Amino acid sequence: MPNQKSPENAVVPAGRLPRRNVLTAAGAAAALPLLGRRARAADPIRIGWVGPLSPPGGYAEGTNMKNAAALAAEEVNAHGGVLGRPVEITYADTRGMPAEGRTAAERLVQEDKVVAVFGEFHSPVALAEMEVFHKYGIPFMACDVWSDQITAKGYPEVFRNAPAVSLIDVAIGQWMVAAGFKNVAIIAEKDDVGLSARTIVQQELTNAGVKFTAVDADPNLTDFTAQILRFKSASPAYDFFISIYAEAGAYPMIRQSHDLGFAPTPGCGIYNSGGESVDPTFWQNVGEAGKYLVTENVGLPKAAWTDKTKAFVAEYHKRYNADPSGAVMESYDGGGLLFDAIRRAGSTDAKAIIHALETTNYAGVRGQYSFSTSHEPAWHYHQFLNAPLTLLQYAETNQGQADAPIVWPRKFATVPYLYKKPGAA
Amino acid sequence: MASRPGMRDDARGLMADYLLIQALNGLTVGIIYAVIAAGLTVIFSILKIVNFAHGEFYMMGGYFSYFAIALFGIPPLLAVVAAMLVSFALSIVAERTLLTPLYSPTTERKGDYGILVTFGISIFLRNIALIIYGPYPLRPPSFFSGALIAGPLIMTWDRVFAGGAGILLLIALVWFMQRTPWGEALNAVSQSRESAAIVGIDDQRFYMLAFGLGGALAGGAGALVGPIYSLSPSMGLIPDTQAFAIVILGGMGSVSGSILAGLLIGVSESMFVALFPDPSRSLTYAQAFSLVILMIVLLVRPTGLFGRVHTSMD
Repeated sequence: MPNQKSPENAVVPAGRLPRRNVLTAAGAAAALPLLGRRARAADPIRIGWVGPLSPPGGYAEGTNMKNAAALAAEEVNAHGGVLGRPVEITYADTRGMPAEGRTAAERLVQEDKVVAVFGEFHSPVALAEMEVFHKYGIPFMACDVWSDQITAKGYPEVFRNAPAVSLIDVAIGQWMVAAGFKNVAIIAEKDDVGLSARTIVQQELTNAGVKFTAVDADPNLTDFTAQILRFKSASPAYDFFISIYAEAGAYPMIRQSHDLGFAPTPGCGIYNSGGESVDPTFWQNVGEAGKYLVTENVGLPKAAWTDKTKAFVAEYHKRYNADPSGAVMESYDGGGLLFDAIRRAGSTDAKAIIHALETTNYAGVRGQYSFSTSHEPAWHYHQFLNAPLTLLQYAETNQGQADAPIVWPRKFATVPYLYKKPGAA
Repeated sequence: MASRPGMRDDARGLMADYLLIQALNGLTVGIIYAVIAAGLTVIFSILKIVNFAHGEFYMMGGYFSYFAIALFGIPPLLAVVAAMLVSFALSIVAERTLLTPLYSPTTERKGDYGILVTFGISIFLRNIALIIYGPYPLRPPSFFSGALIAGPLIMTWDRVFAGGAGILLLIALVWFMQRTPWGEALNAVSQSRESAAIVGIDDQRFYMLAFGLGGALAGGAGALVGPIYSLSPSMGLIPDTQAFAIVILGGMGSVSGSILAGLLIGVSESMFVALFPDPSRSLTYAQAFSLVILMIVLLVRPTGLFGRVHTSMD
């Protein structure tokens, strides 16, 4: 019906608009910015998460950390999101490989347009990723990565809520010295963290005059029997064995050491550093070989748990039927720290978020967070210096990490001894 | 002074014990290497492809055994047999669905096709394991708990069993290849499929059998080491690399060569760790040492210990 001239589609000469139409158009024009603002307000705030979710990286703990990140996002969205917008996390699998991490970081920034990123489990991967975040000025909250270099580089975008190697391994070395060990065997995984951790432990032992032998091993190795037999036959005998090993080989190493009668024995203690010994699968894999083993926990000690910690542990346990490790708590808090910073910044502008992170005073499940802005020493920069760290020694088979006796530092110790030998009362 | 010779004897005795223990330990590791490498060799000798998914069949075998025990209550010993059967079936499915273009005269660059497809199978299996079995290491129950203690020798019964079962598997394989009509037919196909066809051997059937047999051996090795090393989707990465070196050392395509090379690598790595003068470098260099052996052997015998000449698909 081409000739029908309804009021809606009538052609009106320019300059002769009916008054009612002019008012309607003006009203619509005035409302446009409001509509636009409403539409933008519904847009999610995109945040990236990086970590190993498939081999050859530490994908078991990576998956746990991802679950914690998802829980953090779910909870904040249930409470209205951040700045009135929902939070949307994009997860990037880095496979524990620096090259994959770099690509994932580029994709998160360029394609997914994230405003900030958190996560990661492997220091070499974090070191590769942070170059990308530094290039684009994107804030990065490094979670379970311990290399000093991460914060020592002094990049304004990079923060860390986990302890650094200098915090962890100095404590381990000091504890070994205090516990009175005289001759220590060390196996460290041959990567950035393993080697720097070994160097720091060695430094503490050297300072105290403790003898040691250090061996480096491929991170994918699972058979250590020949090396353990060599340790066992050494003279003078070793009285302590520490493995700095976070990969799948950590469990076989602990078991082989036990099965060959090397450690733990009344004559030789055992330590595993790297996080595998507080994972949910620890006991299923090592059985009685895990009793008397000492390891670190980067979560808050149970005695210091806040209501927030208790609520998180309960919720995580309910969903995944496992206690969260320190790394899991770090990932959960990593999300919380970014949400808090964006909220306080009042925008998703990168510089504003970084400034807000520098003035953080946030209660997470691992304690009260703040970040140092000092460059002296270099690794202090943007480091959570009060990151919790305790050394625990399993007293029973199948003991939960939260229930294991804490032996170091002494201010958190739950037992009078520094180390309990197998068979001791 | 009279005590000195005695002390030297004691020291010699301790050293002899130490070396014996290390050699036995290396032997058990070498047997497992040999089982994995023998499977890879069977596939290579018949299909003339390097199976880059072999480590993943090894991994799947470990998981099949675990779930046979956990879900169906099958005793651990029978679970190894079940794992081999399922690995055999899985390998045949992979071969029938993805590798048949290798046998077509119209397929060009068969070697490249084989590498790409098996590499793809490897990535697929590793990731499907991650989805199905989860990322957490799993440990099947021991075959026999406790350890064999004889004087200074301590070896878990799981290792003793894995070594013994590995020897039985290798003997059975050699017997099958040399004493049965099917083994002779496999050998014939490996030398010339045209000649084999002339005498009435259906080469397609034997490609399938070879790939299945190789997968079953890898799966059996995975099931045997489950209680020793634990299972994880990435557990095939190192044995895969080791098996390739062993296959080359033994002479590509020679089952006996790969068995001998597996034992040689296992024992020499163990003895290297035991005797290398700098104890802090011994474990670090152990795998490199096996590559040094490989290089020396290849310099002297470019075709490996028992090298064969039929190394590409007709």
